[in-house]
Amino acid sequence: MDTKDFLTTMLRSGSGKAGVALLFIIVVTSISVVLLFPMDFGSKSWNNPAVWADNPKSAPPFWAELFMGNNSIAHTVFEVSPRQTQDKLMEHYSFPYEYNRNIPPTFTTLSFTDITFHNRPPSIELNVIRPDGREIVLYQQVIRGPRPDEISPYKRFEETPLRVFLTSESKTLVSLSDFLEAEFDLKSSPEELSGLVEQIIFGQPSDEGNLKFVPLKGVYDFQILSYMNDPHDSLGKLKLVIGGNSFGFMGTDSAGRDLALGLLFGFPVALIIGLATSIFATAIGATLGIISGFKGNKTDVIIQRFSDIWSNVPLLPILIFLIFILGQKLWVVVVIMILFGWPGLTIVVRTMVLQIRTGQLVEATKALGASNTRIMFRHILFQIAPFVLAQMMFFTPAAILAEAGLSFLGLGDPSIPTWGQILESGFRTGAVYLGYWWWIMPPGVLIVITAMTFVLITLGLEPAINPKLRLEKQ
Amino acid sequence: MSLGITLTGRALSLFGVLIVVLFMLVVALGATGFSDRILGAIVNEEMRGIREGLAQTIRNPDELEQVLNTQREEREKLYGLDKKWHQRLPDMLWRLMVLDLGEARTLRSFDGSPKVITIVLERLPYTMILITTASIITAVAGLAIGVKLATNVGSKIDRIVSYMSAVSYALPAWWTGILLILIFAFQLRLLPSGGLHSTPPPEHTLLRLVDLIYHAILPIMTLVLVSLGAWTYTVRTMVLNTAQEFFITVARAKGLSERKVTLKYILRVAAPPLVTNLVLGLAASLGGSILTETVFNWPGMGRLYYDAILAADEAVIVALTFIFALLYVTARFVLEVLYLILDPRIRYS
Repeated sequence: MDTKDFLTTMLRSGSGKAGVALLFIIVVTSISVVLLFPMDFGSKSWNNPAVWADNPKSAPPFWAELFMGNNSIAHTVFEVSPRQTQDKLMEHYSFPYEYNRNIPPTFTTLSFTDITFHNRPPSIELNVIRPDGREIVLYQQVIRGPRPDEISPYKRFEETPLRVFLTSESKTLVSLSDFLEAEFDLKSSPEELSGLVEQIIFGQPSDEGNLKFVPLKGVYDFQILSYMNDPHDSLGKLKLVIGGNSFGFMGTDSAGRDLALGLLFGFPVALIIGLATSIFATAIGATLGIISGFKGNKTDVIIQRFSDIWSNVPLLPILIFLIFILGQKLWVVVVIMILFGWPGLTIVVRTMVLQIRTGQLVEATKALGASNTRIMFRHILFQIAPFVLAQMMFFTPAAILAEAGLSFLGLGDPSIPTWGQILESGFRTGAVYLGYWWWIMPPGVLIVITAMTFVLITLGLEPAINPKLRLEKQ
Repeated sequence: MSLGITLTGRALSLFGVLIVVLFMLVVALGATGFSDRILGAIVNEEMRGIREGLAQTIRNPDELEQVLNTQREEREKLYGLDKKWHQRLPDMLWRLMVLDLGEARTLRSFDGSPKVITIVLERLPYTMILITTASIITAVAGLAIGVKLATNVGSKIDRIVSYMSAVSYALPAWWTGILLILIFAFQLRLLPSGGLHSTPPPEHTLLRLVDLIYHAILPIMTLVLVSLGAWTYTVRTMVLNTAQEFFITVARAKGLSERKVTLKYILRVAAPPLVTNLVLGLAASLGGSILTETVFNWPGMGRLYYDAILAADEAVIVALTFIFALLYVTARFVLEVLYLILDPRIRYS
């Protein structure tokens, strides 16, 4: 059966079609991820809390409100990169925010990056003008002045932005306390207001008194003012975040990480783990099986005894042990799985080769003067190739599942996020018991679908494999 | 005679597995310097005790140090720390073989003992309860369904089960467990999400047993769910292969009841390869139990493995890896014997 027949036979079956279609989607996704994501995504972004600081924590995906009722607040980010200030020393940025929900936003943060000044330090101020016309000064900050030994121009917050978490910022609490007293004649200490920041900004005191607030709906105008003292002073980036309770396509985990990104990154990783392991293990298994069956005698006995012992080593405990000892690196996992993955195939391939060896084809080739190597890898391998390919496909999900299990036990490679690791962090931090389904379900579903893809392809290959070659194990 | 030879051959092969595992453990431990650290920690622990004891009697600090140094050297010699790891190798192998597993660093048994062997042995029954129950349920249910399907090949149910078996191969046990927790423990609130007993555990012994079974339902269900599909499919295929043989047609032609044909003719012949498959499934269920116990907080050896990883307790990890291999090899041997009993061809040849 030549390659073309082989593929058409596979594609004729429903499962083969489904498998190939799924594989196509997975491969395309993986390639796009490899092209679009930085290679150090794991260490630079995924495991760097600063990257995710402005995201809501443990937030469901935005579409979850379809099931959960209309009480979601969109996560809103206002960002500007001011141009180099030329002549105007005072800059003014306005961010209108429409608020019409019954619960307040979850948090508010202001951050600014990369400030350069030459003379006296600049200052930054955040105000909000509410729908009722009242204005609150939420935050004021004068940038730290030059140190004694510092020379102009002075740079501040170049690498890490200054991030102000207004929800618990003491300056904000003080000014809110003043605001309540001046506008509503409501006396309160700043400490009492902690935890109420969003309720106060986006609401007004209710009739009940006692620091209870009702939402005030309408358009809020957030204004950031920067005061510079020198025409050459500059400000890198300004970011105002009004925290929602839902985020993105797949939601976030308890560290605010965008799960959509982690799940996407898992595609090429799973594919590489599965294919690298199965290709190498199958190559070793088939080669040794052919040699064992073809050469016979002592070679056969040695290889078979060794395979017999090696195939009986329980994989998962050994894998756990070796990873614990050798360190949590993905390539170590793959190498170990290859080392333990080949013997099963060797035993079966040998039985098949024993039959082929006595056949007329081999006899004829031998008579033509072909070398042993040529007979083994040109003629015998060619006959068992479909079976070997099916075995390779069948072994791929096993490798993917083994790695996922290992990651789930907390032995994943910390520099490369995988689906198993996302599940592990969810399980360890109790997402299962808190009902964070968007954190638990998608990685598992993706693992199952990816593993399923290869099972389906194997099923599709079945009719394409010469049934005579498939020996029942005795 | 030949039975003895076959059995000895299998025993030797399985013993070889154990030796390979042992060897891997010891080399990995030795070559990475882990064993030096473990033994060093033991010596330090013992020296602390000795120092406290001697400090009572020997007042002179110099003299005390001298005595302690000789004591330490003696101990290091005793544990072989004065030699390189590969010289110590036979000794380490022996230690593991006789289950001298040392002491855990942080993990303790239920009554506070740090001895690894005590910790492992008290967890062992809980793992056995899960694995044996799940295996028996899977085997019996798979046989019943598989035989039924083999008589209805190509039917709708047959095709559904074929696909289910493919799905179950792709289904990780631990994730299935998490799903079951989400459904049965949190949505329906029918079953407990994990643990061995309710808090507080019931006083009465019988009630305690009922409580234990109540807590075991979900983990056992998980283990059965992930292995049932593949096993049913195997039974169906094997039974189908045998049912197409001529002697089955002859048996039917003799007018034997369908029940007798199935039990005495088909299943009897299909039994040995079925047992082989059951054996192969064992490795998966042992490995699976590590993850399942972790998910269900079931205090068996698998959960202990997870705790040992979290606590980085080397002694326990080494011991468990070895015990898992030992368990697997033992179970395999038992089933080899069963295979020989079932397959008369080997007995009489």
